[in-house]
Amino acid sequence: MTGELQPFPFSDVLLRAIAEVRSIAAEVAPTLAAEPREDLTGVLKAATALERDLGDGEAADRHELRNRLGALRGYAEMLLEQVEGDAHAELGDCLLRLVQATHSAGDLTLDSQPGRGSVTITSEPGFILAVDDRRENRELVARYLSRCGHFVVTAADGEQALATLEESDVDVVLLDLVMPGMDGREVLARIKAHPEWHATPVIVISGHQDMQGIIDCIEAGADDYLFKPFNPVLLQARIKAGIERKRWHDREDQYRQQLERSEQFIRATFGRYLSDEIVTDLLERPEGLDLGGDLREVTILMSDIRGFTTLCEQLEPTQVVTMLNRYLGAMTDIILAWNGTIDEFIGDAILAVFGAPQGRNDDADRAVQCALAMQAAVDAVNTANAAEGLPALRTAVALNTGTVIAGNIGSERRSKYGFVGHPMNVTSRIEDATGPGEVLAADSTVAALAGRATVAESRELQARGIDEALRVHLVTGYLP
Amino acid sequence: MSGRGPILLVEDNELNRDMLRRRLTRAGFTVLTAGDGREALQRMEAEQPALVLMDMNLPVLDGWNACREARANPTTRAIPIIALTAHAMAADRQNALGAGCDDYATKPIDFPALLEKIEAFCPA
Repeated sequence: MTGELQPFPFSDVLLRAIAEVRSIAAEVAPTLAAEPREDLTGVLKAATALERDLGDGEAADRHELRNRLGALRGYAEMLLEQVEGDAHAELGDCLLRLVQATHSAGDLTLDSQPGRGSVTITSEPGFILAVDDRRENRELVARYLSRCGHFVVTAADGEQALATLEESDVDVVLLDLVMPGMDGREVLARIKAHPEWHATPVIVISGHQDMQGIIDCIEAGADDYLFKPFNPVLLQARIKAGIERKRWHDREDQYRQQLERSEQFIRATFGRYLSDEIVTDLLERPEGLDLGGDLREVTILMSDIRGFTTLCEQLEPTQVVTMLNRYLGAMTDIILAWNGTIDEFIGDAILAVFGAPQGRNDDADRAVQCALAMQAAVDAVNTANAAEGLPALRTAVALNTGTVIAGNIGSERRSKYGFVGHPMNVTSRIEDATGPGEVLAADSTVAALAGRATVAESRELQARGIDEALRVHLVTGYLP
Repeated sequence: MSGRGPILLVEDNELNRDMLRRRLTRAGFTVLTAGDGREALQRMEAEQPALVLMDMNLPVLDGWNACREARANPTTRAIPIIALTAHAMAADRQNALGAGCDDYATKPIDFPALLEKIEAFCPA
């Protein structure tokens, strides 16, 4: 015999049942007839002997324990026969629990080998809902599972069970199949049909060896089953498996929600600058968010409001912001509609790119149509401005096509999808030369359009910082 | 109602003996008791019970040897014996039957099942 020997694993439940009987014995004894009173004395004597042996640890061998258990059960059963159906309902219930506890204890002493420690299964504590129409069964299960560290709530019928599921996050449901009113099958069907409960493991309990009933239930979604009277160790093992199943599901659920949240975050953050299609592409290829870049042939669009600095001096700051937001809002919608990538707003200026992160064959075409649409939309913005007593705006849009470096530029902490390269500077110069209401496109952009753009006139620009002369074209229309 | 039996109950544990005696009495049997194997053999010879319920773990003379002696004695040979053991091993059943017991019940006793066995040997 070594260490902390527990020859009697079920002792707690049994000892509690004994304590219960003992607590009411003094009160009940005088009301009993002579025979049952002697039986009660027998119960208490056998209980005391059993407790003494249990307390003795090593001294008590299995044979003695079974003798004690036999005497205790015998007296309790005799007494139960005597008090059943009469006024001693409380005593009756206590005795029934005691008898059940001796049965379970007897099964355990039967199964375990002498000298071997108790069979205990360690499990993460869970929230268990035990559904049974018989009070003694509910209490037996509740006590046993509470002793194993679980939090147990009970329900006496189907309606109560569903109400409990409504209120709490149940980990495992222990469900008796045979109940009056809404039976176990119906409760199971409702759990499995419920959007939030369907993943909650259900262990069905059948009173008899009702194999067909069990098969039906497993087909209807039950996760496990037990026959009554069940072995407490088996119950514990199944509860443990059920809790683990539930935890896996919960974690999966959490990951999914986390993923959805970060996707929403990415959409909300990038969605302001990128069209939905590009965001979806980035989400599907997260490696696209790595720092670094690649060379891309893109069409760059730059626009600004002519005379904006002067306007700002004449208006209240709140009026400036109102006007700017209305203008940028309208322009953003148009750029995204043409699948452009908005790189940034600098005050009233907009920098957008067509062809990155995703390149297409019609990047220049979309850029030109976008620029024309932007100019056309300024009228509507001005109408809204006029209604509030705000001045009309005139905007200039410049286009240029060339090869730039596109990528996430910055540091790990703060990076931004952006563009660098000579064509960016050239676009800026063209923009400087663009008049109010005009769309001015570089030679490269018009060449990419292969005649689909209507060009009103062409100009030579001698831009500062750029050696060669720049040929630009005033675009007034687009013919697909 | 009394007079069925008598049944000789051989059990050294006082509490168990008292409990089983009461239950059997209530079930309508006349019950004799003995506390060890030697006493059991003496009462079997003297009182010729209809049936013996014998615990196997007995002082003085254990149940196995008491059974063998009872079978070797012509005056007790025909008395049925049901062995009561605290062991549920298959070997125990073999031992009990090999020692001359007629049937076998495991402790803690399932009383209704025990009654059925008893009825088989001494019908009302």
